[in-house]
Amino acid sequence: MTTTQTSTMQTTTAAPAGAARPLARRRAAAMDTLRGVLSIADWRRRSVRTGMGFVHVLLLLVLVVIGLGPILLLGKFAITPTQDILRAPLEVFPNGIAWDNLHKAWFDVQISRYFLNTVLIAAGAWASQIFVAATGGYVLSVLRPRYAKALQWMVLATLFVPGVVLLVPLYLTILNPPILGTSLLNTFWAVWLPAGASAFNVVLMARFFDNLPREIFEAARVDGAGPFRLFWSVVLPMSKPILGVVSVFAVIASWKDFLWPLLVLTKPDLQPLSVRLPSLQATTDLGVLMAALAISTLIPILFFLVFQRMFLRGAGLGGAIKG
Amino acid sequence: MRSLTKPTTAVLAASAVAIGLLSACSGASPEAPETSPDDTTSTTDEATSDTPQDVTLRVVSLLPGSDQAAFDAFDERVTQFEALYPHIDVEAEEYEWKATTFAAQLAGGTLPDVYEIPFTDAKTLIENGQLADVDAQFHDLPYSGDFNEALLEAGKGPDGHVYAIPAKSIYGVALHYNRALFDAAGLDPDDPPTTWAEVRSAAKQIKDATGVAGYAQMAADNTGGWQLTSATYTRGGRTQVAEADGTYTATLTNPGTKAALEFLKALRWEDDSLYADATLNWGTVNEKFAAGQIGMYTSGSDVYTALAESFGVTPDSSGLKVADYGLTAIPNEGTDSGVLVGGTLAAVNIRADDAVKDAAIKWIDFFYLQPHLDEGPAVENAQVRFDNGQPVGTPVLPIFSREQYETSLGWIEQFINVPLENMTGYTDVMFDQPVVGEPSASTQEIYALLDVPVQAVMTDQNADIDALLEQAQTQAQSLLDEG
Amino acid sequence: MTTDQGLVPTRRRRRTPVDWIREGGLSTLLFALPLIVIFGVFSWLPIGRALIMSFQETNLVVTSWVGLDNFRSVLADPNLPTALRNTGYFALLALLFGYPIPLVGAVLMSEVRRMKGVYSVLAYLPVVVPPVVAVLLWKFLYDPRPEGVFNQILGWVGLGPMPWLQSATWAMPSLVIEATWAAAGGTVIIYLAALLGVPPELYDAAEVDGASIWRKVWHVTLPQLRGVLLITFILQIIGTAQVFLEPYLFTGGGPANATLTILLLIYRYAFGQSLGADYGEATALSLLLAIFLAVMSLVYFRLTRAWSSS
Repeated sequence: MTTTQTSTMQTTTAAPAGAARPLARRRAAAMDTLRGVLSIADWRRRSVRTGMGFVHVLLLLVLVVIGLGPILLLGKFAITPTQDILRAPLEVFPNGIAWDNLHKAWFDVQISRYFLNTVLIAAGAWASQIFVAATGGYVLSVLRPRYAKALQWMVLATLFVPGVVLLVPLYLTILNPPILGTSLLNTFWAVWLPAGASAFNVVLMARFFDNLPREIFEAARVDGAGPFRLFWSVVLPMSKPILGVVSVFAVIASWKDFLWPLLVLTKPDLQPLSVRLPSLQATTDLGVLMAALAISTLIPILFFLVFQRMFLRGAGLGGAIKG
Repeated sequence: MRSLTKPTTAVLAASAVAIGLLSACSGASPEAPETSPDDTTSTTDEATSDTPQDVTLRVVSLLPGSDQAAFDAFDERVTQFEALYPHIDVEAEEYEWKATTFAAQLAGGTLPDVYEIPFTDAKTLIENGQLADVDAQFHDLPYSGDFNEALLEAGKGPDGHVYAIPAKSIYGVALHYNRALFDAAGLDPDDPPTTWAEVRSAAKQIKDATGVAGYAQMAADNTGGWQLTSATYTRGGRTQVAEADGTYTATLTNPGTKAALEFLKALRWEDDSLYADATLNWGTVNEKFAAGQIGMYTSGSDVYTALAESFGVTPDSSGLKVADYGLTAIPNEGTDSGVLVGGTLAAVNIRADDAVKDAAIKWIDFFYLQPHLDEGPAVENAQVRFDNGQPVGTPVLPIFSREQYETSLGWIEQFINVPLENMTGYTDVMFDQPVVGEPSASTQEIYALLDVPVQAVMTDQNADIDALLEQAQTQAQSLLDEG
Repeated sequence: MTTDQGLVPTRRRRRTPVDWIREGGLSTLLFALPLIVIFGVFSWLPIGRALIMSFQETNLVVTSWVGLDNFRSVLADPNLPTALRNTGYFALLALLFGYPIPLVGAVLMSEVRRMKGVYSVLAYLPVVVPPVVAVLLWKFLYDPRPEGVFNQILGWVGLGPMPWLQSATWAMPSLVIEATWAAAGGTVIIYLAALLGVPPELYDAAEVDGASIWRKVWHVTLPQLRGVLLITFILQIIGTAQVFLEPYLFTGGGPANATLTILLLIYRYAFGQSLGADYGEATALSLLLAIFLAVMSLVYFRLTRAWSSS
C-alpha cells in the first residue's frame, strides 16, 4: 500500500513542476482560460449560461451564509451586552453596543497573553517541523546512506499509527525525558519537540527532493560542495514551494492543537488560546467571552486573507494527489 | 550493497524496539519517592532548625478567571504572611479542583506544595502515597486538639497520622434562590420553599410568570452524581452501605434516589421548569445563576463566596445582584433524611521536604485556620477582604466548634458584607440539621456513574429510571468490589 | 566517486571508520540526527512504551504486570459498545455530510469564471477559525431555548425549537454538523486543486464523442479524481475514528454518554478519574483502535488497488 501511495505522489508532484509550461501553452492555444467540464461551446449555449449563472449565485449565497455567517455573528456578539446576547441574539443591538467587552477581553481576561503563547508555540512547532523534515528529507532523498531505507520505513510506519496511541506514553516521556532528567511539563518544549515527529512532512520533503534534477547536485559536487553547502545553497533555495506547503500545514496544525497542549501546559500563564478559552467559560461574562473568541479568531483570519495564495495552494497539496 | 542493507535494517529495527523496551521499563518505575504512609521512620521527626532556611512555597490561590479584586485581596494576605515569616517566599497559582484534570496534575507533579482537595479524595490519595505526612508539624500547632474530630478524621491515614487538614468551605448542601425572580413571580422571597413539593410549585410559578427556568440541576463532571446523592439523603435514602466486614454495598436503587430522579423528570417534562442543560457542572450552574437565568438550585452552602469572587455577583450587576441572593435549607423529608456535608482539606505535596512542610503548615495555619481562632488575624483577614470588596461572613460549618465559630463571627461583625438577612432560612437551622457525610468508597467514580441517569432524565422524556438505576447499581457494585 | 549510490567497489578491502568519515558518513549522520532523535524520542519510543504499558497496570505510583488483564477489562467495559457505536455513527454521518457535498461544491466552483478567489476564500474560512472558538461559538448557537440562534432560524421556517445538544438523539448530529462546517472547506480546496489537474484534452475527446455535460462529469471528471477521492475517503474515516475535541468541548460525552467516542473513553481512562488513573487500560484501548484502523486501511488499499489506475 505504501508503494502505491508514494509512487502516485512521486509521479504527480512532478507533474505541476514539469508540465506547467506545456499545459499553459496548450491552454493559451485553445484560447480557453482554465476550461473544466464545460467547453467554450457549452458556455455559448444560453441555457448553460443562465443555468450555471444561477447555480453560481446560489452557491455564493450559500457560502456567504454558511461560511461567513457564524463568523459575522461572532463579531456581532463580541460587542453586544450579555443580556442582549441571551435574550435577543439575532436582533441588531437593541440596547446599544458594548465596546467594553473588547476592552475587558483584552485587559481583564488578558487575551493578549494567551495569544502570544499561541504564536510562540506555533513558531516553535513550525521551526521544529521544518528542521526535522528538511534535514530528514535531505538524508533520505539526496544523501542516501546505507541506512536510509530502514529509516524511511520506520518513518512511514508511524504514518499508520493513530495519534491516540502516543497520547499516554508521550505524556509520560515528557514527564521523564531520557537523558534530560527534568520534566518538560509546562515548558513550550513539550509542544515544540514532539511536533517535529511528523512523518507526513518528511515524506513530502523527501518526495520533492526526489524530483529535483540530479545534474545540479552533480555539478555542485564537482565544484567541491560538501553536503552542508549542497543543502544550504542548492537544495533549500530550490525547495521554496514545498517549504511553503509544509509551513502552512505546520502553522495550521499548531493553531488547531488542543488536546496535547491541554495535557502538558497546565499553568494558565503558558496556555495557548485553545486551552485557556474553555476553562474561562464559566467565570467570564458571556459578552466578554464572545469578544475574547472574536479576537482569537481575527488574527488567523487576517493571516489567511493576506497569505491566501500560499494557504490555498498548500491546502490543495499542489494537486499532488490524482487518480 | 543489498546484502548489507538487510542486516542494517534488521539491526536498526531491533535496536529501536530494544531502546523502546528499555526506556519503557525504566520509565515505568514509580516517579514518586518511596515513602509510604506506614513508614514510621520517615524523616518528619527531625527537629526543625533554629535558623529557618529560605524556602519557596507554592500555594493555590483562586479559581481561574476570578475578579482582579479577589486576587488583590489574596495578594495582600500573602504580603502579610511573608512579613510574618520573612524566610518564606510564597508563589501563588490559580487552581480549580476538577475531577478530570486533577489526575493529570497529580501525575504530572504540577500540583503546588499546598493544594486543596475535597474530603472525598483524601483517603484514596493517602492510600496511594500521594500526600505528605504532616503529622509532626500538625501537632506542633497549639490548637491541634480543638478540631472537630469528624472533620479531622477525613484527612487521617490508616496509621492515624494527619495527611490533610480541614481548611475551608465546610458546607452542607443548601438551596439557593434568586429573590428578584421570586418577587417577579409573585412569591414571597422571605418565605422560601421548605418541602420538595413547594420547590416544584415555586419553580413552575417562576417559569410561568417570568419565562426563566425555576430550578436547575448540575449534571456533568461528577457533580450530577454529587447532587443526586445529596437529593437522595434529603429523601431518607442512602447510596452506599458500609458492611461490618469492611466491604461496601451500593444501594443505588433505593426509593430516595428514584424519587429524586422522578422529581427532576417531572420538572423537566411536565412543568418545563428545569433549566434544560445537561452539561451543567459546579462552575457553569453558578455562572447561569449569577446571570439571572435560574430561579433555584442546590449546591454547597458556601457557594456565595465563589459567586461574589468569581462569578460576578456584585451590588449592581446586570444579572443577580447581591441583594437578590437568597439561601435557605434544603428540604428534608422522611425518616433518616439528612444533609450531605463535605468540605475542603489542605494537603501537602508528597515531594515536599521538611523545610517545605514546615512552611506549608505555617501557611495553612495563617491563611486558612487563624482567622477562626484569634481575633487579630480574623480582623486582619476580614479587613483585607472587605477593603477589596470581597465577601466576608458567608455561613460555613465550623472546623473547630460551634462556639468558636460564633465567637469568630462576632470579631468580624463590622466587616460582614454578605446579605445574612437573606440567608436566615439556612443559618437558623444549620447547626440542627442532621448531617450525613459523603459516601466513603469509590466516591468520585460512583458520582461519575450517577451523572448518566441524571443526564438521561434531563434529555430523554422516556427515560426508564428503574433501568438506569439498575445499570448504575451493577456498575457501582463492581467498582466497590474491586476497590 | 559518488557516495550516495551504492556502486561496485573497485577494491575489495574492508571499509574502516576513516573511510566512512571521508565518504561523508559523519556529516550524513549529522543531517540524520534531528530526524533520528526527534522521531526516536517522541515517536518510536512512545510507541514501544505503549506496547509495554498495555500489559501493565500503573498509576505512576505503583506499577505491576498484569498480562492481558487490561485488554480483558477494556473489552468488558459496558461503555465500550457505546463508544464504538457512537464513533461509528459519527464517522457515518460525517461521511454522508462531509464527503459528497465538498465534491459537488468543488465541481461547481471549478466552473466559476469570475471572482474565483472569493469562492475559495469563503469556503476555506471556517477551516481557519480555531476549533476551540468554533465549538464554543456553536455551543451557544445550539442553545435549546426558543431564543437560541438556530432555534430562532428554524422558527422562521415554521419548525419547532430543537433540543440540539440536550437530546441523546440530536447531540451527535449536532456535533457532526459543526465538524463538517469546520472541515469541509479543506476538502473542497483539495478537490478543486485536483480538478485543475484534469487534462482538458480528455474533455475535448469526450465532446468529440458527443458527450453531454453530465456524461463528461461522470466519465471524465470522476475517474480522474479517483485517486484523491479514494485517499480522502480513508483519511476521513481514520480522522473521524479519532474524534475528541467536539465531544469533549460540546458535551463531555453526554448526555448520558450519547456522544462518548473511543478517544474520549481513552482520555477518561487515563486522565478522567480524579484518582488512580488507569494508563494501562488507556494504552490497551489505543492499541486496539490502532490495530483496527491498520487492518481496515490494509483491506481498503487491497480493495482499491483493484480499481486504481496505478
